[in-house]
Amino acid sequence: MKIYVFVKRVLDPDAVNNYALVGKLEIGADGRSLTQTAIPDLMNAYDEQALEVALRLRDAGTECTIHVVTVGADRTAILRHAASIGADEISEIVPEDPEVDVHTTAALLAAFVRQKGTPDLVLCGRQASDDDQGVVPALVAEALGLPLVNVAKAIEKHGDSYRVTRVTPDGDEIVAVEGAAVVTLSNEVGDPRYPTAAKKLKARRVSPEVVTASDLGVSGATRTKLVQQFVPDVEQNCEFIEGASPAEIADRLIERLREDRVLP
Amino acid sequence: MGSTTVLLYSACPREGSTPEEARSALTLGRATAASLGGDLEWFLLGAKPSDAEAIAAEQGVARLHHCAAPELGADTQVAALEAFCAAHAPRIILFCQDFDSRVVAPRLAGRLGAGVVMNAVAIETGEALRVTASAFGGDTRGVYEFTGDGTAVIGLQPNACLPEAAESPSAPESCAFETDLGAVGERIVVIEAASSEGPRLEEAEIIVSGGRGLGASENYHWIEELAEALGGMAGASRPIVDEGWTDASHQVGLTGRITRPALYLAAGISGASQHMAGCGAAKAIAAINKDPDAAIFRYARYGIVGDCLEILPELVRAAKEQRHE
Ligand SMILES: Cc1cc2nc3c(=O)[nH]c(=O)nc-3n(C[C@H](O)[C@H](O)[C@H](O)COP(=O)(O)OP(=O)(O)OC[C@H]3O[C@@H](n4cnc5c(N)ncnc54)[C@H](O)[C@@H]3O)c2cc1C
Repeated sequence: MKIYVFVKRVLDPDAVNNYALVGKLEIGADGRSLTQTAIPDLMNAYDEQALEVALRLRDAGTECTIHVVTVGADRTAILRHAASIGADEISEIVPEDPEVDVHTTAALLAAFVRQKGTPDLVLCGRQASDDDQGVVPALVAEALGLPLVNVAKAIEKHGDSYRVTRVTPDGDEIVAVEGAAVVTLSNEVGDPRYPTAAKKLKARRVSPEVVTASDLGVSGATRTKLVQQFVPDVEQNCEFIEGASPAEIADRLIERLREDRVLP
Repeated sequence: MGSTTVLLYSACPREGSTPEEARSALTLGRATAASLGGDLEWFLLGAKPSDAEAIAAEQGVARLHHCAAPELGADTQVAALEAFCAAHAPRIILFCQDFDSRVVAPRLAGRLGAGVVMNAVAIETGEALRVTASAFGGDTRGVYEFTGDGTAVIGLQPNACLPEAAESPSAPESCAFETDLGAVGERIVVIEAASSEGPRLEEAEIIVSGGRGLGASENYHWIEELAEALGGMAGASRPIVDEGWTDASHQVGLTGRITRPALYLAAGISGASQHMAGCGAAKAIAAINKDPDAAIFRYARYGIVGDCLEILPELVRAAKEQRHE
């Protein structure tokens, strides 16, 4: 069977957090891009988990080709990482405009899959940690006419159907879906695997297939444009509670909370 | 029939009253509709809340559409919305963002070929329709412009705005929307339903949450004990859920529960934006962290710099004492 895993390159969200915390997150002259060169790029963590689930399906005995696809130019680093842990094929789709929106991203991915033939499974992370939008999987599902199962942590194949464990606000839920589907994965999947040194070295010799938007005949899919990005103000207003002992501090906090009617 | 300007869509899986988020969304929708010179409308699918008419009037809704549906799976919702849009061609469809609408909203956009922006906190209608949305867990905000005049699908964050009654209430026209949903087959079949027990964190008035600063799984009981002593519920940051110190239903944050308690007490939590996305709307945050520069103190109203393992037992004692006073 054929499994596609869609991955995105993002800025390391922890580094972004740290810069934001010290008030040093810089927005470039265009008014919308984060420009710190010190913030590293990596594969969106949820996408790594999607790839991990594909690899686990293979570990469980499912014969499959795992094809990892991304949208954006010069994505070799994350694609080689995918190859080093077991992706069979890696491709990057170069959009017309590097500031591609979610709608064009989805149109490109759907056109790519359609051109290659029918998928059995399309796996993605539940959302990207940069824009947090989480809409590409749904847009792709609609474009391909496939059902979407979101926020999953495990997938089992039973003949032509899949059993997917979803992490819902009410606890885990198990659903069945017949035939091909788009599934998004969450961090509850657990830690993704690391490559061995040998596999890492070997992956350095593989190069992704490069496909362009015009190869896929995709244009005019854009619906939104990021026109500005800014760092919201946080009004700091913390009253520090002190005391000679933990007991005194605890009593003071409870007292203050009652005075301010935060506690009854 | 003319086309709709701003539509709020609410899925109503069970009978009950209108959730607060819908009132907030109607308030925001009313301002947006007014700035576009049009009406605010509301589309309810499923079991109409008992107070829907009253809320609609309070919020200045012009038309209240209702469509009964036996089942509210994603395929049914998308089909109903697709039919509604074919009839009414709304310029803007608002969703109160929750677990289900995170699927339904973008799928509808895909079905219609419409643009979609989730995590929205503000809408601007000038020369172009612009939506401000949270990104990087809340570290930044992105402003997106919709490029065409087609339908715009927008998912609103639960805390995007405070609900406010319209200056003068409206007399909403009730419209039954009929479409045949019988033929829609749900492609996803639930085999084992989630078994939620008891109250939900989203509704808790007091939440005591723990993070990695608790040091070890066996210390999480202090969080549970303090929550109980204060009459609240226990929460957690993502890493300790990942570690199995407590289960996923307790995770607060961007990808966990979005809560808005009166008091959020965070112990050993650094205050990463993705965590704050789930508790930033608390009326008051109290934080215990041994690092005086921890991010959590930027958001906290009350701060204690210290070891949470020393403070928590004393807080349990103090909370119990005040309860007995
Ligand atoms: C896309 C994305 C989504 C995410 N979603 C979520 C989410 O939904 N919820 C969530 O929580 N996180 C989420 N995260 C993770 C988030 O970015 C942080 O990594 C996480 O919240 C940190 O958890 P923490 O505060 O428990 O741990 P840490 O960041 O390790 O902080 C531990 C804190 O405890 C303090 N401490 C240590 N020892 C003590 C002590 N003895 N007494 C007092 N204080 C002590 C330390 O000073 C530190 O501040 C997400 C991340 C991404 C990228």
